[in-house]
Amino acid sequence: MGIDIAVHRYTLTSAFGRGLAANRAGLTGGRSALSSYALADGFPCALGRVSGLEDVAIAERLARYDCRNNRLAELALETDGFKEAVAAVIRDVGAGRVGVVIGTSTSGIATTEAAYRSAAFARDGVLAADFPYRETHNVFSCADFVRRSLGAQGPALVVSTACSSSAKAFVAAARLVASGACRAVVVGGVDSLCDTTLYGFHSLGLLSRGHPRPFSAHRDGIGVGEAAGFALVGPPTLFGARGGLHLVGGGESSDAYHMTAPHPEALGAREAIGAALQDAGWAPEDVDYVHLHGTGTPHNDAAEDQGLARLGLAGVPAGSTKGAIGHTLGAAGVCGVAFVGLGMEACFMPGTANTEARDPTFHSDLLLAGRPGVIRRALVNTFGFGGSNCSLALEWRS
Amino acid sequence: MTVSIAGFGVLGPGLPDAEACRRALTAEESYQGGAVRAPLVEGLSANEARRCPTTARYVLDVGRQALRSAGWEAAGVTTVLSSGSGDLEILDKNCRALATAPIALSPTLFHNSVHNAAGGYWGIATGSRAATTSLSAYDDSFAAGLLEALTTVAPGRPCLLIAYDLPPPAALTQVRKVSAPFAVAFALSMGAPAGSCARLSWEWGPATGEGASRMVSPVLEALRLGNPAARCLPLLRALCNGRSETLSWAYPEGGALRVATLFDA
Repeated sequence: MGIDIAVHRYTLTSAFGRGLAANRAGLTGGRSALSSYALADGFPCALGRVSGLEDVAIAERLARYDCRNNRLAELALETDGFKEAVAAVIRDVGAGRVGVVIGTSTSGIATTEAAYRSAAFARDGVLAADFPYRETHNVFSCADFVRRSLGAQGPALVVSTACSSSAKAFVAAARLVASGACRAVVVGGVDSLCDTTLYGFHSLGLLSRGHPRPFSAHRDGIGVGEAAGFALVGPPTLFGARGGLHLVGGGESSDAYHMTAPHPEALGAREAIGAALQDAGWAPEDVDYVHLHGTGTPHNDAAEDQGLARLGLAGVPAGSTKGAIGHTLGAAGVCGVAFVGLGMEACFMPGTANTEARDPTFHSDLLLAGRPGVIRRALVNTFGFGGSNCSLALEWRS
Repeated sequence: MTVSIAGFGVLGPGLPDAEACRRALTAEESYQGGAVRAPLVEGLSANEARRCPTTARYVLDVGRQALRSAGWEAAGVTTVLSSGSGDLEILDKNCRALATAPIALSPTLFHNSVHNAAGGYWGIATGSRAATTSLSAYDDSFAAGLLEALTTVAPGRPCLLIAYDLPPPAALTQVRKVSAPFAVAFALSMGAPAGSCARLSWEWGPATGEGASRMVSPVLEALRLGNPAARCLPLLRALCNGRSETLSWAYPEGGALRVATLFDA
């Protein structure tokens, strides 16, 4: 469709910390912010936890929305001047022309998990009528909370396609802008720690025993992380003739193969990456950097490596940040966008924390350590359960 | 910017297919609800069909109906799936497993619990590698899905919008009201090809206080209000009656999606 969307302002809160400065420091320092955790059966895994959520205050008028996921969203909205930037755009174009598109996989499900463990539920067998299902657990809760917190009155929706959610949210936002339905869109991804994902990935044998090692021969699964990231996007003209980060292409596809396993020849992933290149009008050699999906599971990494090689992208420097902050699931896309944006600004190519050596059977130009380097054009890959693939093409304009 | 509806499918109480829907919506007072036909699952292996959750069965059923009615193959058709609450039956089972020691979550129930599980089964059943997006806007999910579909459809890129919601299991009936199962699919394409059943033009704008379009019959109006996917009923009525009118779906404390249906006289 030929996307041309300017990212006016963005922010990220992850296990690296709150805001762009903390995430830039974590990224360029090459460290892993994962902590060790044991499941109830003693299985040792890694968590990318955001600290300080206990202290986040939710406004009284939104008290029913109070849950870990919305606290994480609020913490990020209150960072890097993001709320103020949105308020300024609302003043300029009107609240009704500012949309909200958020990607999440599990929203505030942890609230319902806890309610099912309560004495009241054991006694009654039902959740009481005053339980805030709509405001906390429902998958739309997150976008509803964000629009109310910001006062945006344009179209609001949650895209929930597992690990590709927030990447697809960027493409949906671009469509809203291109169609004229919105003048600007707050696009983001928010996913927080919960038992459903931890024990769910464990049940599938996809959780790493210890810390995840993306693209390593010894990779054995993911570490789950939490994160919230937001971007204020609109047509470049809305924000004047400014440079900076732009979304110039998006490719989406389905594997049509299996609910959890990627296509062995990465057919769906190749179609998504290929569509992003075509949408942006790029040849493979135009790409300076690939932010890998790079989850650390044996099959996903192999499929992604093969997909890149078959598209002529094996020679492009690439890195996975999932050994650093964990797999943030529905927020993975916005994390990729923010890390690429930070890398472009700082002339730095992010590496692959926690991986000591690339799988020798792979072809990608995997950066183990980050290094100085100019990124003008980059891809962000995300591939989710249900075979949902999305690749974004990002460009830096000076 | 004109979009056409090339066909549709429906499954709800007393509405086993588009033909029954046409009968009910051309004579609203005749509709009295009724049982919901079991959804049909085509294209899955025996193993996949056994694992396929109820929500995905509704999606496969109405999606296939709409493709047949439009005369389309699934390949190359982008799908937009919209559901206010996803699959609450699976959620209930997972939360019970997580509340019981020792924790033993079923891997199948876990991967079926993602909001886009139905989209995954759609791809597997049809073999289509076209993009699938799964979204929610709670009770406004139909309007959000319709807007996403209207902005997705492009020359050479037809789009299938599928909306669905099912009543919750017993443990969640106090916190989420969905009165009856309902699923609907619309086949949308750009332009006005011959044989299409309606043309649409649309805009997003401020809510002007006119409220949402409603049904005349109390039984149909109760169905419309009782299930987020059934918020499509005014659009189905316009299609079934060949009625050119402007329909509106307003967000609470927000703007409204207005869609004009156009039929050649």
